[in-house]
Amino acid sequence: MKHKMNARAFKALIAAVFAVSATVVPISQSFAAGESLGKKCTTEGVMTGTKSTSLICTESNGKLTWQRVKLASGNGRPVANLTPPKGEIEFWHYRVELADQRALVKIINDFEAKYPGTKIKQVVRDTTTYNNTARVAILANPKAALFATSRGAIFDQFAKSDMMLDLSNQRYVKQNVVAKGLTAGQYEGKQLGIPYQYLFNNPIVNTEIWKKEKWTTPKNLSGWVAWCKDAKAKGYTPLAWPGATRGQAAQISNSALMNSASSYAELAGNLADLNSGKIDLTSKWFQGVADIYVKLRDAGCFPANATGVTEAAAYNLFATGKSPILPIGTFAMSSIIALNPDLNGKMELMSMILTDGKVVAEGIMNNTYTLSVNKNSSTRDQKIANAFLSYLLTGKVAEIYANETLQHVNVLDVEYKNVNLLNTVSFQAKNTMLAPRFLLLNAAVSDLTQDALIQIVGGKDPDVVLPDFSRQIKQKLQG
Amino acid sequence: MGLPAAILFGLFYFVPFIANLRYSLTKWDRITDPEFVGIRNFVNLLTNDDLFYKVLGNNLRFTFLVVLFQTLFSLIFALFLVKNTRANIALRTLFFFPTILSSVSVGMIWLFMYDPNFGAVNLFFTKLGLEGFALNWLGSEGSALYAIAFTQVWFHTGQMMVIYIAGLQQIPQELYESASMDGATRWQQFKHVTWPMSIPTTIVVMAYTTIQSFRAFDLIFSMTQGGPNNSSNIFAVLIYQTVFSELRIGYAATQSIFFIIVLVLVTVLQRKFLNSRYEK
Repeated sequence: MKHKMNARAFKALIAAVFAVSATVVPISQSFAAGESLGKKCTTEGVMTGTKSTSLICTESNGKLTWQRVKLASGNGRPVANLTPPKGEIEFWHYRVELADQRALVKIINDFEAKYPGTKIKQVVRDTTTYNNTARVAILANPKAALFATSRGAIFDQFAKSDMMLDLSNQRYVKQNVVAKGLTAGQYEGKQLGIPYQYLFNNPIVNTEIWKKEKWTTPKNLSGWVAWCKDAKAKGYTPLAWPGATRGQAAQISNSALMNSASSYAELAGNLADLNSGKIDLTSKWFQGVADIYVKLRDAGCFPANATGVTEAAAYNLFATGKSPILPIGTFAMSSIIALNPDLNGKMELMSMILTDGKVVAEGIMNNTYTLSVNKNSSTRDQKIANAFLSYLLTGKVAEIYANETLQHVNVLDVEYKNVNLLNTVSFQAKNTMLAPRFLLLNAAVSDLTQDALIQIVGGKDPDVVLPDFSRQIKQKLQG
Repeated sequence: MGLPAAILFGLFYFVPFIANLRYSLTKWDRITDPEFVGIRNFVNLLTNDDLFYKVLGNNLRFTFLVVLFQTLFSLIFALFLVKNTRANIALRTLFFFPTILSSVSVGMIWLFMYDPNFGAVNLFFTKLGLEGFALNWLGSEGSALYAIAFTQVWFHTGQMMVIYIAGLQQIPQELYESASMDGATRWQQFKHVTWPMSIPTTIVVMAYTTIQSFRAFDLIFSMTQGGPNNSSNIFAVLIYQTVFSELRIGYAATQSIFFIIVLVLVTVLQRKFLNSRYEK
């Protein structure tokens, strides 16, 4: 009985976390009986979407009922975009991908057609160049009135430079954006950016292979170890893990980290201590994280010559069916479809619970591609930027971006039409954690931490790797 | 006449050099104001930075290998292709071709070639039954630097070959005729005529290759970004990472001072060695 109660409490927690502001507005039971949805409310935490009218199955007075969720931070329905003055601004970002360009060009053309005399000029750099040069360039260029940053160290650097306008009081921020997704754009209590994308950095699974082999989702670390052995024995490379591309190799570390501490607060504390040098990679906590990698490595989860597998090679392994799982995230789906159109509609997300102990979270989400208004731009240019940002944050416009780029967005009232987005949107109902690896804000610490884990997958002994990389981190922090 | 040149030199070389010296005495992240730290960066670099010594070793090894093999291969190709026949001109074009590609393209091509599971290099060895040579080329600490050095040699040998051909074609034909009349063999002709006469070209080729190999940033960055575990990292990549990834501008300025010192030392020693041969 006690166990049953705990399970219920846990499910309630899932619902509460997902319901973002944890504010559930009850509506009449007769309205929410389930008829309008065509299905009954039987599983606590299941949601009907990220619309302002979405419902969530939650417990009330001992019964499971559909209730309306309040996803935004403010009250009221999403608002229309602001009207811009005439003029031209630059929109700096790093989405060079063709799908993003198709979507953004259409959105900008529509915006300019709606407001003649207002122009948005895109300035696009690849991610590496952007991360390394954009901050200084934008600081010197007030015409760059709207710009993007990625979550973590880059957003932090921009925020420290005092170049972002506080958007906390904008109505569209309060009413058009999923409140939980705003956290990544906050700095010292101010809303300095609006994360546009709502990503899931969880493994993507090839559902056809999964069904053919009659596999079920492993429930814990032991389950994953057993599954890897089975998949390997059947001739698959269990995880198409790109050990040669640090940024993508690191995605799986989110799953390893998410249940490595007893709570998110404890995990965040551990990562902050690692970041500042208070603890190092030889700490008991991180040894536990490393041990997950050892177990997965020894079970044959990773590809042969894993440290030499590039991102392109990992995509190839997955797209050609040699590997049933790509442990990267939803953002890889469009590349996979480009490689093998037959996989369209045959990919789903999977929880990767890498602990045999307490489960803190079932999956990873991340809010990135954070859009900010330049504090140093002229008032007129800020108004244009603000108006265009509010336009991007309306459901119908965000829909264009989401369906073209195959990315979920952090915007309310979006109708996902793409089969892959629909197949994965159910993950929003899970108890997900904001990707913890980005809490390592010191780039050197973050890179060395990931490199240490990559070395372990490459076959090295953690007893050698962890002290070695701890020394390297210490030297970087002292330098 | 020299004034415009002096102004340009001052503006684009001397001023940045002095600024770099100044930054090397600071702790600066490009966000907050620079903080004067005296010679702390220098002390740290020399006494508490294992990575610096690792990168120094990598850079010297990389340079040695590239200079040695690039010079050797370009000289050999030049010797074979020095005559202006149609076949030779066609082959020269072929060997020169990689030089016109961008470094990043070359890096990406070889990244695919070296792929341990799908790459052409391992496929080649496997087809020949030489599985032992099918390595994790760029993913292993033991082979990454050598694999990139090979790519660098492939990339630039054609360019150096052209310089050698130009040098070899300047050697008076009479010297070979005299040597031939004296009964000199091909090897003796090479040893006593070609090699001594091509030392000035060799000095140019080696100096250029040395600088080129110290600056092989784009190739290394596109192939391994200095990994795994900094086993293929060289100064140019390290300085970039320190500036743009870690935002430690003062420390990077210190690293770049040592980079210049090492580069100057290597070039001076190399020239001394070759000049002594030339004078002999």
